[in-house]
Amino acid sequence: MEASNAVIKLVKVYKIYTMGRQEIRAVNNVSLSVNSGEFISIMGPSGSGKTTLLNLIGCLDRPTKGKVFLDGVNVSSLNDIALTGIRRDKIGFVFQQFNLIPTLNAIENVELPMIFKGIEKQKREMRAKKLLELVGMEDKAAHRPAEMSGGEQQRIAIARALANNPAIILADEPTGNLDSKTGRDIMELLKDLNMKGRTIIVVTHDPVVAEYSERIIRIKDGKLDVS
Amino acid sequence: MVSWMYLELARRNLKRQRMRTLLAIIGIIIGVMTISSVGIFGNSLKMSTIELFQDVANEIVIYPSFPDGYNSIDHQTLRIIDKMADIKIAIPVKSESGLITLGKKKAYVTIYGLEEDGVKELFDLKSGSVSLAGNNVVVGSILAEKFNLRVGSKIGLENHSFRVAGILEEKGRSFDINPDRGIIISERTFDTLYSGEYEMVIVKTVSIDNVEEVSKTIKDVINKRETKIRVWEMKNILESINRAFTYISRFLMAIAGISLLVAGVSILNIMLMSAIERTKEIGVMKAIGASRKEIMLIFLLETLILGAIGSSIGGFLSILGGYGIDLIILKSTKYIFIPKTALYVMEGVVFGLGVSIISGLYPAWKASNLEPIEALRYE
Repeated sequence: MEASNAVIKLVKVYKIYTMGRQEIRAVNNVSLSVNSGEFISIMGPSGSGKTTLLNLIGCLDRPTKGKVFLDGVNVSSLNDIALTGIRRDKIGFVFQQFNLIPTLNAIENVELPMIFKGIEKQKREMRAKKLLELVGMEDKAAHRPAEMSGGEQQRIAIARALANNPAIILADEPTGNLDSKTGRDIMELLKDLNMKGRTIIVVTHDPVVAEYSERIIRIKDGKLDVS
Repeated sequence: MVSWMYLELARRNLKRQRMRTLLAIIGIIIGVMTISSVGIFGNSLKMSTIELFQDVANEIVIYPSFPDGYNSIDHQTLRIIDKMADIKIAIPVKSESGLITLGKKKAYVTIYGLEEDGVKELFDLKSGSVSLAGNNVVVGSILAEKFNLRVGSKIGLENHSFRVAGILEEKGRSFDINPDRGIIISERTFDTLYSGEYEMVIVKTVSIDNVEEVSKTIKDVINKRETKIRVWEMKNILESINRAFTYISRFLMAIAGISLLVAGVSILNIMLMSAIERTKEIGVMKAIGASRKEIMLIFLLETLILGAIGSSIGGFLSILGGYGIDLIILKSTKYIFIPKTALYVMEGVVFGLGVSIISGLYPAWKASNLEPIEALRYE
């Protein structure tokens, strides 16, 4: 593992919640490094802290202790505005429940991150169209999420995640709400993106999903399970 | 540059809850309509009151300055005033208390010494003619009624016999002279019966706009060395009325404003509900790169749309509302289609928009401050 090539680096990261007098270490002294272009699975039982870990990498959450580096930048010290910028430009999120905006149609959903970035209309419409083609959804551009199947919605969500051409795709149980056939299609799509050089981290408890990755990180009780 | 997409998103979000949106808009419509209608009515009320005083608004009344030792205005002063520019007419007034007799009936009444053109300028005639030549007199309406006088009746004054040539319309309350219970004789006749200088001079300017200027010139010229006269502009009354009615109008509008406040609270309510319902969506937007500013913008645009639609419909309806109130209370709608109405409509619209935006601020702020991770977890 060469440090210079690490697109993600966690150094002794803790996420500690206090509930009453009890201290819960959702992430407990985790250090890890992900190289650019890697496909990684984070596995663990529910409540193991895998989603918390993903949120820390995705700048949705700040560590209680420790440092998170993205592209060499220590994001644990950044303010809210800067974190928003990183989420927008460097990270693409794919959620278990797809989480498309229900009032927007497919292409508008894909355009949304580009709107937040302030990309002009023509440019963003062209890119959104290309991305829909990439995920095989060009025919559904004008459909609202409610008019699409789960697999279709997840494809749109992946296109949306790619909108601002981020270095990293973070997927939290991306196949969790899909049947196994559709789930495999989605994983193939992610694998494809990885082949084209994108760094992908998938959180899952499904070993079939984890098989698509090059490296599996296991987590238990907030700690990396090296056994 | 802000994308049109935000506006489109706001529009679609409002369409999601049609009924709720409609009710909020109705609230704004009612609020704006009430404020503007009341404003329009208040203005009509003011205009119709001022109209009653309009024909005396170009009047300046000149009195001797009693506190400075003057109890009359002399010929010299009158001549100077008479020659000034922008004066339509200067009417010198003499008056005295005189005993009149009609058969066995007698009474002390006010005798005015005036010229015919002055009488024509100041009063309306009920019957006969304004003629003060020879032993002709003009009498006030109340006196005429009391003594049963007609044109041609004989009347005794200070042991001389006079003939009633004309009877005036009742003038009512007035700020200069009121001959309703008096007799008007010519200045020349007056001088043969009584002695004394002018007790006041009533000046009418060419137009209302000249009043201040003329008034100032008179004061400057006549009171150059000593304060001989005091000047009182009838326009002052007009201004007092104007001011009083403006206050009344504002007060009524403020009360009407309560309905707009209620509309604002309902916007606050629905936008808060909306923010709570859309918590997860807000979380998603934040995760994919929406800043606080952008979330705030989306929510504020929604209230702005509500406000703009409600205010413009309310503003339009307020003209109808004002028309209705004027018709019922003032029985006249001639003050509806004047430029000032547009001002009240605009005021209502501005208040409507303002209340909408202010009511939207808190929900928008609340939405924009959601922690993305908490918001994403919301079901």
